[in-house]
Amino acid sequence: MGSRFRWVQVLLYGFVSLWSLFVLLPTAWMVIGAFKTKREFFLDPLGMPASFDFDAFERAWGTGVGGFLLNSMFVTALSVLVIVVVSAMAAYVLARTDNRWMRLVYLVIVAGFAVPVQAVIIPLFQMVSGAGMLNSLFAIVLPYAAYGIPFTIILFYAFFLDFPRELEEAALLDGCRPVKTFFHIVLPLMGPAVASAAIFQAVFIWNEFLLALLMLTKPAVKTLTVGILQLGGEFTSDWAAIMAGLSIAVLPILTVFILAQKYFVRSLAGLGK
Amino acid sequence: MTGHANHKGPTGWCRTLMGGALALSTLTAGSTAMAADPVTLKMWALVNENYPELIQTATEEFRKANPDVNVELESIPNEAYKTAIQVALVGSEPPDIFFNWSGEDAARLARSGLALDITDLGAEEGNYRNVLSEAWQQAFAVNGRQYGIPVDAVSKYFYYNTRFFDEHELKVPATFDQLLGLCGKVREIDPEMVPLPLGNSERWKLNHLITVINERVLGLDAVRADYALETADDEIFTNPDYEKAWGKVLAMQAADCFQDAPNATSPEVSRSLFSAEISPMIFCGTWCMSIFDKEGFTDYALFRFPPMTDGASDGSTNMVIPQGFQISAKSEHPAEAVKFASFLVTADMARLYAELRGAIPSNPEKVGEMDATEQFKWVAKDVGSLSESFSVLDVMLEAGVSEAYLDMGVEVLNGSKTPAEAMGVIRTAAVEGKKKLAAGQ
Amino acid sequence: MSDTSLAKPVTGPDASTWILLTPALGLVILFIVIPALLAIAGSFFTIGIGSTNWQFAGLANYTRALNDPIFWLALRNNLIMVVGSIVLQVGFGTVLAAILDRGLPRGSTLFRTIIFAPMVMSTIAVALIWLVIMDPNVGALNTLVKALGMQPPTQGWLGDPDIALWVILVIAMWQYTGFMMVLILAGLQGIPRELYEAAALDGARGLKAFRHITLPGIRNVLIVAVLITTIGGFKVFDLIFATTRGGPANATQVLGTYIYQQAFNLGNMGYANAISVVLLLIAVLLGWLQLQVSRRS
Repeated sequence: MGSRFRWVQVLLYGFVSLWSLFVLLPTAWMVIGAFKTKREFFLDPLGMPASFDFDAFERAWGTGVGGFLLNSMFVTALSVLVIVVVSAMAAYVLARTDNRWMRLVYLVIVAGFAVPVQAVIIPLFQMVSGAGMLNSLFAIVLPYAAYGIPFTIILFYAFFLDFPRELEEAALLDGCRPVKTFFHIVLPLMGPAVASAAIFQAVFIWNEFLLALLMLTKPAVKTLTVGILQLGGEFTSDWAAIMAGLSIAVLPILTVFILAQKYFVRSLAGLGK
Repeated sequence: MTGHANHKGPTGWCRTLMGGALALSTLTAGSTAMAADPVTLKMWALVNENYPELIQTATEEFRKANPDVNVELESIPNEAYKTAIQVALVGSEPPDIFFNWSGEDAARLARSGLALDITDLGAEEGNYRNVLSEAWQQAFAVNGRQYGIPVDAVSKYFYYNTRFFDEHELKVPATFDQLLGLCGKVREIDPEMVPLPLGNSERWKLNHLITVINERVLGLDAVRADYALETADDEIFTNPDYEKAWGKVLAMQAADCFQDAPNATSPEVSRSLFSAEISPMIFCGTWCMSIFDKEGFTDYALFRFPPMTDGASDGSTNMVIPQGFQISAKSEHPAEAVKFASFLVTADMARLYAELRGAIPSNPEKVGEMDATEQFKWVAKDVGSLSESFSVLDVMLEAGVSEAYLDMGVEVLNGSKTPAEAMGVIRTAAVEGKKKLAAGQ
Repeated sequence: MSDTSLAKPVTGPDASTWILLTPALGLVILFIVIPALLAIAGSFFTIGIGSTNWQFAGLANYTRALNDPIFWLALRNNLIMVVGSIVLQVGFGTVLAAILDRGLPRGSTLFRTIIFAPMVMSTIAVALIWLVIMDPNVGALNTLVKALGMQPPTQGWLGDPDIALWVILVIAMWQYTGFMMVLILAGLQGIPRELYEAAALDGARGLKAFRHITLPGIRNVLIVAVLITTIGGFKVFDLIFATTRGGPANATQVLGTYIYQQAFNLGNMGYANAISVVLLLIAVLLGWLQLQVSRRS
């Protein structure tokens, strides 16, 4: 039995290692490609670069990748903040109130969860454009928040149903209004649920593309996803610069992920529950 | 009444908000009224060699007489351009001045009220209508009104590596069959060498090719009514010679002219193959001259697409696409925008434009004085000698038909549609397009 | 004093209730509900690119869709994306999760981190990386395939209408399988270990235990995984937009890219709205199903 067991284990290790390699190779090739010359790309696509200089990174940086990175950080942070606060407030009321109106409100919000932005992009674009919201990093936060709110409310709603009411009741006895109770008693205890929702939304907003493509056309306000697509169009056959730009765009989020992978995994796995 | 009165009553906050909005709107109205305020013109153009430098120089020169006007250039990659410009024009923040090709797309923007009618502005003192010839002004005319400032024209030629041709004693082909023969000879010299790389990943490369082939096979008179969607539904694009034209593309493929996977190869890759001397020929726009020159490759010469022995055209015509700038109907500074675009076609700017871009300027006054390459001089002379010129399918056809022609190029090249099937799809699109035009869309 | 009377002040629908509720509700109504209603309304009109001139068109946009082969092709491609993604992402995700859950004595955190990582990368970046890898002239893939003694496709990986969509499925698999794996892994870890120990005493281990304990234990998670993948398959846009834009010759056209093309490229806003409504209905139905299943678990 022992030898058979070992065989199975070799097989299992082989499979996950192969898959890991499948994931790692393109990523590694991206970084290596940033150091290759055009000629090296043509003559030996698989080969290693002859020398490691950072010219391509300079060319890519020159198109404003740093700015795109900052814009993405700003939009993501602000959107997540709005989503978490606004959803927690609404979910709290919905979980603590039971009447026909609240059930209707919950239904509207849950229906919003199912609407993909692609399916309403035409009127949405015309609305935000008509409202003068184009090319503003603040303005794009509003639709981002709107599309993050429904799922976050669903998550928080479940959290509040399990939340010990005794704490709130004690506060209410002391004469706190519900709004004050919420901000002073409930919100501080939401830590894990907030972290989980925030990471989940951050990943999606960081990577959002369609709205950003339509709403942010000025170079100064572009986020990373739109910025790197533009990079691809600008450098066309300067593959090293494209790969360098992609590396600059991808490596920071990968680093954050590796450092906090436990939380990422927990947050995204929560979707199945 | 003081402002405080507004805050009384249950709807006080609402009225304050409205008051604020009102104040804001009078503020913006005030700023447009004052002409002396600094004006920033937003300008969109294609990503092009030397373009940012050119516009920067133009802006500096322009500001000498118009110190209050500034120009901000945004460059958009070719592939995304048509869509990006349309999205921007529909939106609330369109560019004031935007590049466009003369053709159906420009006319559609005019018809739908997105591009500004500049007939009168353009005629103001010093503006382009006093400078450019009537023929050039026709490039952006729709129903007798002006919707754009033509700046230059581009054309399309075969480029060949003169060193390679001399070394192997190859001759410039006088007929299409000789061109096919040339592909064979190159493969004989080196089977791994691609004679004529075709980068069709963005679909327009083959579209340019089939535009010229259509002309060489059918002649201009036979296609005019079809292209304008003026033929009857049951006759439109039924001329069997359209299929014959696609057959010529297949003949080039069969003669091993192209590399593998043309539909997955980008135009830039195919250009790089030529400028890196990995391939001896390429069918490229006149704008390619400045790209090759900048990359340091100058051992090339050009020849026009040769005539076909079984075709209706004698080969004395070529594709010439005027291009220039349109003004957004939503622009807050239309007068300044037209003035700046007109400045681009003044004699000195036109010369600089031609020098830096290798394009044929709409204002030819100082072209004779310019510092041009041999190749550019040859092109200028050749374009001047053409008996007639025609535009390219993807900018001249109605949007849906253009889309069909672009797609069918990919399918025919891929072998997934026969020329007959391809023309069937194009016919359907043409009938649909006629309906749309009739409905005034 | 009873519990109910204590809870009452909280449940009373007073002003503070609405203060807490309004921001969320307002944003959802403004940016989701109203656009959805406008899309439905707009689908009954012919709207040009200027979008100022709406002409009532009745059901014309819908009959046009019924007669438009590209619409059907796009819908079919969405279905291929759905089925292909379920087989590849949920399938391999389950296998990987099962191995990481119980198969490896050590290193499972490392493997999990690596395999999950592409999920946090932007799809646009992923698409651009693969675009260069699969370039027929400078890409590593062709060289690799040739080195293995095989012939790469002559029309290119993304240039051949017959295989382009399958290639895109593989890129999607590269990015999302780790996500499915983690989702399913969470389900697996919820299964009490004692069940396996008890089964082992009865002589059930390996595949037998997998079938009788593991699969039933993660049934709900699997359904959610399938639904998420299905919704993702209908919503796909970024990946195709950044690799093929729906080409070659519409071979990879999906509803999302076709809406974009019709609206912003060809200027048929009304028709694009009609296609949007089809996508909207599919998505709402699937989303509702997902919530039902989640709630039951």
